[in-house]
Amino acid sequence: MSCGKPHATPCTEVVASISAYIDGEVTAEQYQVITVHLSECPPCVHEEQAHRAVKGLVVRAFSRTKAPATLHARVRATFRSIDEQ
Amino acid sequence: MSAQLDDPGTGEESTTTEPTTESVAVSDAELAAIFESEAMGYLDQLYGKALQMTRNPADAEDLVQETYTKAFAAFRSFEQGTNLRAWLFRILRNTYINSYRKAQRQPHSTSADELSDTQLLEVESRNPSGSRSAEIEALERIGDPQIIEAMNTLPEDFRTAVYLADVEGFSYKEIAEIMDTPVGTVMSRVHRGRKSLRSLLADYARADNGFEGAGPSSDEALGGGI
Repeated sequence: MSCGKPHATPCTEVVASISAYIDGEVTAEQYQVITVHLSECPPCVHEEQAHRAVKGLVVRAFSRTKAPATLHARVRATFRSIDEQ
Repeated sequence: MSAQLDDPGTGEESTTTEPTTESVAVSDAELAAIFESEAMGYLDQLYGKALQMTRNPADAEDLVQETYTKAFAAFRSFEQGTNLRAWLFRILRNTYINSYRKAQRQPHSTSADELSDTQLLEVESRNPSGSRSAEIEALERIGDPQIIEAMNTLPEDFRTAVYLADVEGFSYKEIAEIMDTPVGTVMSRVHRGRKSLRSLLADYARADNGFEGAGPSSDEALGGGI
């Protein structure tokens, strides 16, 4: 899975951090290191793109859920009745 | 039953501002009004997660209602100014784990540990050469029902970490609070969850196309189609 060129950071380390990188959960320093690595390593770019694609699919599949209107009323009724007790 | 709610898990240094409000006694009615105005706005989000967990609209509604009931009962101990949304999701998940999951016995009750690294690493070696963007194009053609199905096959810990990060946009720190686990564990669950999804979805894509391997088959499909 390596492109065969030497990198300052091994591909395995970059791939292990790729989700955190995508989610903005790496330090500024890690971000810099990974970004540099990605600029010179197509296989790792592919890993990054695949993870981004999966993230995008999950967002797409689950983001449209809306609770039934009746549930809003039902929940409000519940805690109002508790409040009155 | 409310044992899990004693510690809302909002401690640490998550508050960015000093709580400047003097602790004036708040009446029950005022508290109810605060709760209603602040917590009800998260109902759709909580329902979405409940539906993803229970896979059944009626159960999801019951779960959300129970979550609000518990949250309202515990609201006086909730520290104002801390993360209400994460707190509600934490109650939702604990309620699900404590009652629904025990009662229902999920078909896929594999624990997170059972998803081995070798299983997850498989996908990387499976596509050793070429056609890298073909994989991504194939992924992006997969329909929502298959995404949902793939999510459902993940162990709950992985599924929830991925869902909270992707659909709800929670930070890993917030997810750590919700799932009562270290941030490093969240990071690992999100990453391994996505890897596992990618592997499952690659299988779906392969099955849909009826092809044997990644490669020049996409050209053939273009030439031979329509």
